[in-house]
Amino acid sequence: MSPGSYNGGAVVAMIGKNCVAIASDKRFGVQMQTIGTEFSKVFPVTEKSYVGLPGLTTDTQTLQEIFRFKANMYKLREEREIEPRTLSKLVSSTLYERRWGPYFVHPLVAGLDKNNQPFICAMDLIGCITETCDFVVGGTSEENLFGICESVWEPDLEPEDLFETISQALLCSIDRDCFAGWGAVVHVITPERVITRTLKSRMD
Amino acid sequence: METNIIPRKGGFNFDNYKRNLFLEQKGLTLPKVTKTGTTIVGALFKDGVVLGADTRATGGSIVQDKDIIKISYIAPNIYCCGAGTAADTLFTTALISSQLELHRLTTGRQSRFNSAETMLKQLLFRHQGHIGAALILGGYDINGPVLAHIYPHGSSEHHPYITMGSGSLAAVSVLETRWTKNLERQDAIDMVKDAVEAGIFNDLGSGSNVNLVVIEKNKTESLREYSKPTPHHPKNCDYKYKRGTTAILKESIKDLVVVTDGEAMDIS
Amino acid sequence: MPLKPGELDLGTTIIAAEFKDGVVMGADTRATMGSYISTRNANKITQLHEKIHLCRSGSSSDTQAISDIVKYYLQLYSIVNEEPTTLTAAELMRELNYNNKEVLSAAFIVAGWDKHSGGNVYILPLGGTLHKAPFAITGSGSTYIYGYCDSLYRKNMEKEEALNFLKNALALAMSRDGSSGGSIRMAVITEEGVERLYIHNKDIPEYNDLEN
Repeated sequence: MSPGSYNGGAVVAMIGKNCVAIASDKRFGVQMQTIGTEFSKVFPVTEKSYVGLPGLTTDTQTLQEIFRFKANMYKLREEREIEPRTLSKLVSSTLYERRWGPYFVHPLVAGLDKNNQPFICAMDLIGCITETCDFVVGGTSEENLFGICESVWEPDLEPEDLFETISQALLCSIDRDCFAGWGAVVHVITPERVITRTLKSRMD
Repeated sequence: METNIIPRKGGFNFDNYKRNLFLEQKGLTLPKVTKTGTTIVGALFKDGVVLGADTRATGGSIVQDKDIIKISYIAPNIYCCGAGTAADTLFTTALISSQLELHRLTTGRQSRFNSAETMLKQLLFRHQGHIGAALILGGYDINGPVLAHIYPHGSSEHHPYITMGSGSLAAVSVLETRWTKNLERQDAIDMVKDAVEAGIFNDLGSGSNVNLVVIEKNKTESLREYSKPTPHHPKNCDYKYKRGTTAILKESIKDLVVVTDGEAMDIS
Repeated sequence: MPLKPGELDLGTTIIAAEFKDGVVMGADTRATMGSYISTRNANKITQLHEKIHLCRSGSSSDTQAISDIVKYYLQLYSIVNEEPTTLTAAELMRELNYNNKEVLSAAFIVAGWDKHSGGNVYILPLGGTLHKAPFAITGSGSTYIYGYCDSLYRKNMEKEEALNFLKNALALAMSRDGSSGGSIRMAVITEEGVERLYIHNKDIPEYNDLEN
């Protein structure tokens, strides 16, 4: 047993054509027992950037509050919204500060920058950033997600196609992970709008 | 909570240390951090230095990143390859790089290789090996081309050719057979490329592409993806899902307002 | 303190001896990590001041950190005062070694020439003692050559004699000790200055033809 799989959860983010999507399951459990089914691990930080925090739920919630605070302070100081790339550096340095007493999370950042260029990245629990131009995954379903995303992701998906791809990738992955599932939520971020959809999924 | 949100001056935070130690004693295994796996190589040639690295990052047995950049910028004339804990190599080199930038702005002089080396080794020694960064530092300053390796515990040595990381056992064979004094630039590049490729193919922790940086007098050239020895074979057909495949329970759309700059205020 | 996991070890043979005009110093060039030879051409003879050098053994990082600090102290010292003596350098090393003995694994031989007392050799074992000796050996390989050195060392040797003594002692240690090996580095320090010598691995005498 590890802190990373104590509560369970899965998050995935993908880049499409001028858009990004980030999705999460909604299970909150304690080891094999499911406690709640309305706990998304993805949180909005600004209108066009989201952070996913799969891992130990106590740390997920603590960090969400820290990032909300820090992003708001950034906005007050800079008089502008934080860019997703800047946000990822903020998350990264917050985690590396705890190099020898880390939070047990596997953060993902997804969003569009001020020129509406897509940005996604993942980090390990001490803030090593992995920036890619296709997809990033995290949580207990990480290995499942890696496999299916390598197969189904393709470049330049339109928002609606990206939605189908990320949804199917997530649903298939969490069906083979006992620690994740019980509903899922997907955010598709485009320059014009953010589409948030709750998916129908197996509830076992 | 308060300690978490008050902006700190810097330095490490050990608030969670006791909690995590408690969890560890309870029998929980702590999650794996991203390692570079890594084959990193450096070699001196006639009038410069070449640094080379593979681009794979691993977490346990998973390839976390297929195209990570392991050669970090330290100064315009100094670059550094990192092996070991990925976060440690990245943050350590970034920290020293920013200190050197400030030093250059203060003194108005080119950064010295020795400054970078000393700052890195003293930082690593202070942390007694807990910062898992194994570095190859290469640069060109008033003393000509220089190459050194720095171990996580803070020891450093100068050598004409160096390799570190899990792929070093494969790479060292290439260097030991091919390195000679006063190599030509292209020969040095080829040798370093082949040494990194030896790591990519023979070491499981190393993979993907070869990145190179060539540092010469007043000239630094970064050769990203100098060699791609493991090309990706594209799929013959795709798995695109038909729209409507996924059943939706609820949908909410938030329209974003596009803010454009208005006309400038008349201040004449 | 024992070596930390993954730490670079200078598992070493180092030696220094007084001779007629000053001191000679010698070291092998092998650095190991466990059983892996991570460097076959290390430099374990480090300059502290113009005519004061030291041989390092133990943890590579600990010995480098200490000698860097003392090198800096001596730079300041020589600006404020006169040229430092070998004893001054050795005492500074001892102080650091003693105050941090719980965390260090470092042993040194400090040797040099100064105008007050000519050539001097000091040995600083683990724990912070300082001992003056006509010649000194330490490191993992030194155990094999105590008898050899005791029987062959003489006072006021000529330079070539002294270098030969060092070379053969090191060759014997390197042939028996797995943690010592590579090539031989030597330094001769006299009133005139410092001369550094390098004997390539292939030119090291075999242990059974010590006659030359």
